[in-house]
Amino acid sequence: MTETAYAQLLDLGAGLVLVCAFVVVWRRGLVAIVRALAVQGFALAAVAVVLGVHQHALEPVVVAALVVAVKGVAVPRVLLRVVRSGGEARESDPLINIPTSLVGAAVLTLVAYATTRGVVAVSPSPATRAIPIGLAVVLIGFFVLASRRKAITQVVGFLLIDNGIALVAFLATAGLPLVVELGAALDLLLAVLVLQVLAARMRTKFGGLDLDQLQELRD
Amino acid sequence: MSFVGACIFTACVAGVLACAAGLALPARWSAPVVGALSTVMAAAGLAGGVAVLATGHVWAGRFPSVLPLAGVELSLDPLGAIFVVATAAVAIAASVYGVGYAAPSRAARALVPLFVLSLLLVPAAASVTTFVALWEVMALTSLLLVAAEHRHRPEARDAAVWYGVMTHAGLVVILLGLVLFAGHAGGESFTALRAAAGEMSPLVRSTVFVLTFVGFASKAGAVPLHVWLPRAHPEAPSHVSALMSGAMVKLGVYGIVRVGFDLLGGGPRWWGLVVLAVGMVSALFGILHALVSSDLKRLLAYSTTENVGLILIGVGAAGVSAAGGSRTLAAVAMAAALLHVINHALFKGLLFLGAGSVVSATGTRDLDRLGGLVRSMPVTGATFAVGALAIMALPPFNGFVSEWLLLQSLVHSVSSTSATLAVTMPVAVAVVALTGGLAAATFVKAFGTGFLALPRSPAAADAREVPPSMQAAMIALAGGCVALGVAPTVLGGALDRAVGVLAAVRDGSPLRHDGVTLSLSGIRGSLSPLMVASGLVVGAVVLLGALRAVGARGPRRRAENWGCGRSVQTARMEYTATSFAEPLQRVFDDVLRPDHDVDVSHRAESRYYVEAVAYRTAVRDAFETHAYAPVLRAVRWWGRAARRLQNGSVHRYLAYAFVALIVVLVVAR
Amino acid sequence: MSRAVVGFLQVVVLVAGAPILAGLVRKVRARLEGRAGPPIAQPWRDLRKLLGKERIVPEHTSWVFAVAPLVVMCSVGLVAAIVPFASTRTPFGSAGDLFAVVYLLLLGTVFLALGGLDPGTAFGGMGASREMTLAALAEPTVLLAVFALSVPAGSSNLSAIVAATLAHPARVATLQSVLALAAFAVVTLAECGRLPVDNPSTHLELTMIHEAMVLEYAGPDLALVELASAMRLAVFAGLLANLFFPWGIATTTSPLEVVLGMAALAGKVACLGVALAVFEVFVAKLRLFRVPELLAASFVLAFLAVTASFFLT
Repeated sequence: MTETAYAQLLDLGAGLVLVCAFVVVWRRGLVAIVRALAVQGFALAAVAVVLGVHQHALEPVVVAALVVAVKGVAVPRVLLRVVRSGGEARESDPLINIPTSLVGAAVLTLVAYATTRGVVAVSPSPATRAIPIGLAVVLIGFFVLASRRKAITQVVGFLLIDNGIALVAFLATAGLPLVVELGAALDLLLAVLVLQVLAARMRTKFGGLDLDQLQELRD
Repeated sequence: MSFVGACIFTACVAGVLACAAGLALPARWSAPVVGALSTVMAAAGLAGGVAVLATGHVWAGRFPSVLPLAGVELSLDPLGAIFVVATAAVAIAASVYGVGYAAPSRAARALVPLFVLSLLLVPAAASVTTFVALWEVMALTSLLLVAAEHRHRPEARDAAVWYGVMTHAGLVVILLGLVLFAGHAGGESFTALRAAAGEMSPLVRSTVFVLTFVGFASKAGAVPLHVWLPRAHPEAPSHVSALMSGAMVKLGVYGIVRVGFDLLGGGPRWWGLVVLAVGMVSALFGILHALVSSDLKRLLAYSTTENVGLILIGVGAAGVSAAGGSRTLAAVAMAAALLHVINHALFKGLLFLGAGSVVSATGTRDLDRLGGLVRSMPVTGATFAVGALAIMALPPFNGFVSEWLLLQSLVHSVSSTSATLAVTMPVAVAVVALTGGLAAATFVKAFGTGFLALPRSPAAADAREVPPSMQAAMIALAGGCVALGVAPTVLGGALDRAVGVLAAVRDGSPLRHDGVTLSLSGIRGSLSPLMVASGLVVGAVVLLGALRAVGARGPRRRAENWGCGRSVQTARMEYTATSFAEPLQRVFDDVLRPDHDVDVSHRAESRYYVEAVAYRTAVRDAFETHAYAPVLRAVRWWGRAARRLQNGSVHRYLAYAFVALIVVLVVAR
Repeated sequence: MSRAVVGFLQVVVLVAGAPILAGLVRKVRARLEGRAGPPIAQPWRDLRKLLGKERIVPEHTSWVFAVAPLVVMCSVGLVAAIVPFASTRTPFGSAGDLFAVVYLLLLGTVFLALGGLDPGTAFGGMGASREMTLAALAEPTVLLAVFALSVPAGSSNLSAIVAATLAHPARVATLQSVLALAAFAVVTLAECGRLPVDNPSTHLELTMIHEAMVLEYAGPDLALVELASAMRLAVFAGLLANLFFPWGIATTTSPLEVVLGMAALAGKVACLGVALAVFEVFVAKLRLFRVPELLAASFVLAFLAVTASFFLT
């Protein structure tokens, strides 16, 4: 494909990953948040496919299929099951209100852009110019992790961090080796399954997944 | 003597005569005579300023005998002339207004011309001594004027104390900076300072800039040194508030531009960034507090902070662009800031005069008690509407042109070489946009609840139109707003020359203009306010004609309003100013943190029956509660601690003097 | 054909077509909801009926109430003349600035809010208060979207932006353009009072925003206000169409090209109207205090569009 079409598709894919991170910050409904995470997985796979087609290599396309299977389908399905089996499907008021969180996420994007100027300048290409987007998703994931009350949203934040790291890895090295990706995917799946068990235990103990309740364990 | 010199001389003489007339003449004559002489003084100032702007010729004068030791040095260049013109325009209106306004005392009436004279002369000062002397005259006269009504209102005393302390603290800081500058330059005239700036070390230059910036920013009312503004402006007589908001705070901006850009010759990028950051915070903070304020004059005072913030955004953007090498953009940004200085003087002066008319007609400043004034005070209502539309930056009035210029200078700074610029310019545009939107909401509230609908109190119901002189002043300023909105190109040459004074941003002529269109050279952008205005007028004529042709323009019949089917309309059903701003206050709850106080009193018979509910809400200035209160507490603690030095023993006091003498002898040997 | 004639034609076509657009949106929505719906030309019949009615004005109002419908209509009409709808040769030429368009529309909003406060009714005040809240919060998004559009074109002049997109069609598919489009779409919904921000066909006064401000208008004044709000929707849809998908617009002022440009615009606006109707069927109105969250999200999209245009090019 032509250079400009490659650059545009790459930008659109990475942009969709970033927009999905913002949707996670924006929406209150847990189902919508998990669906945004699923769309982000698909967008990540699209980026990998575009990279693979541009380099005429097969490995990134296989990695893309794996990403779709794990991040796009499996993990969101597990999370949705956790959400649906519980009573509450809405995030209570987050610690920082939503418009402020959105502005904060925009500021974090700027921070990501400002701090990776040097990295991008080393070898400017359409792929490396989109690396700040990956870092921005990581920072937004941290932000969600730190500022939300429900356990599910915190796990989504953790998964955002993972997606962001994956995006940076794809763009910087034009794909991770298959073995590393497989290992990371299995790790992720394990973490999510552990979460499901933990969430069930929390629900039986406290009747809810509100992490503020965990403070009671201290007394 | 040259024309400009003659104008300045006339202004001085007229000012002194006006002051003497105010003190000496009996009350029946003093108002018209003082008003006439002040108008002459302001007109002379205006003529002198316009002459300098039209020709670009710099007028200079030395008067070594006026002040001992240093003499008075005056020099009016196009940059100063812009501020003189803005001041003079407001002063003419305020002088005419003062004829009809009931002054609280003879001294108050006499001090106003002196205040105006100092405002006119400060931009012409050309040496440190002259500048500081005139600045002090300005501060003292305004302080006495703020305290003028202290016999009727105790808050005036409190406001005067805050204002006095802050303005003198600012003076000390400015003096420190200027003295440091003069010390390193070896001379105190501005020409000597300008010449020596290049040789000073960056540390000294930055120190001078920071000191003078802090001092001038406090005079300009920039956050966090703004706390005197919302206290002092409501308490002063209204034409004095108009002068303070329209002219005096601009002299703070003048000081920043003069010292930072002219005398120091520009500086590193962080100077511009600091000014930009202060401007952005001032703009947002000011407009948020104006939005939730239900005291009309306090609303206008906070709105002044917001507009000063916008001006500082322009100045900061000019500094940042100039340091980055794009002098075209810097020139446009500086031109936008200077144009906004003039525009703000006009419409804020108009709004304060309108508020003064409302206060003198109804006796109250509380928007929740006003209403219905647009029918009982038609001229005040119409001119206030013009001022409100101008400050909301709506076409075809003058606020729109300066806002457009400011946005153009920010929007075109696309520089992919600098991460800082790429980050700050979108933030600056977002801040300007948000303050513009909030300003629209604020002034719809101010005009809508203050003037429209039904009167909310007997005082508002009994309002009568103000005397003709006050009306004339307001009409003149409203005409100025419309004229500058439709034909801002008349100022194009003046702005070019004013920006040209500043070596750091000088770049040919940033604004190209034929009579109709204002366009920017070097960047692609043009605007034709005249065509917008004529388009609106033509559209209105065509529309009315079409409606008449269709037969839909018959006589109106007045009937009861529908109000969703309720039976009787009373003033209690109207929205108040507080309720109008409530949704936005809720959105910005985390920033404003209002105090809510609900007091429920029950009937004696049973706790289940409520007799009365009292609800109080107040938005406190965050800087006052978190920054100033601790500082004041620390000062009080320090004062109490220092009291221990005074134990009443004469021997101890003599011992202090003895020790001090020995120390001086040892140190200064 | 001179530029002034082109401008005049644009105004005439927009005045004639805006109620048809409103009727089309209503019809499509009705059909999707399983109803027959009113005819597409019904808004014109309503306007004609209103124009023939008596002019009644509430008894406590002032010149502000009387002047507001005129100002709203004139400002929207002027915008219709200066935005390049049919041709890039607009009457104002190089002075047709996108910032001017934004502030002219704000002028209309402000006067409508003042007209809502003037009768002194509680619902008028409520509508005015809510409308100014949303207008204030939508301003940053609008201006940042304008900023994002003016960066690739190098100017905020409308014809320049359209011409730049015509010259480089691939720019439409870049990240900054897509983000700016999303932000502009949300702003259109907010400024025109459509779902999910405001339901234009509600009858419950406590849920109204725009309708509450105009409750007291009757007869020809109401006709002007209704026509102006229909034109506002048409203008925003036209802006969206021509700023982001300008193909079909004329680049000269020859009569044939201008007519084709108008036809292309009509087609694009009709498609956007149908899309809006479909969207409105599937979405519910947001609670008033959730709308700032939506506007903050659109602000962030516009902000990202601007930073993308700095960093990704």
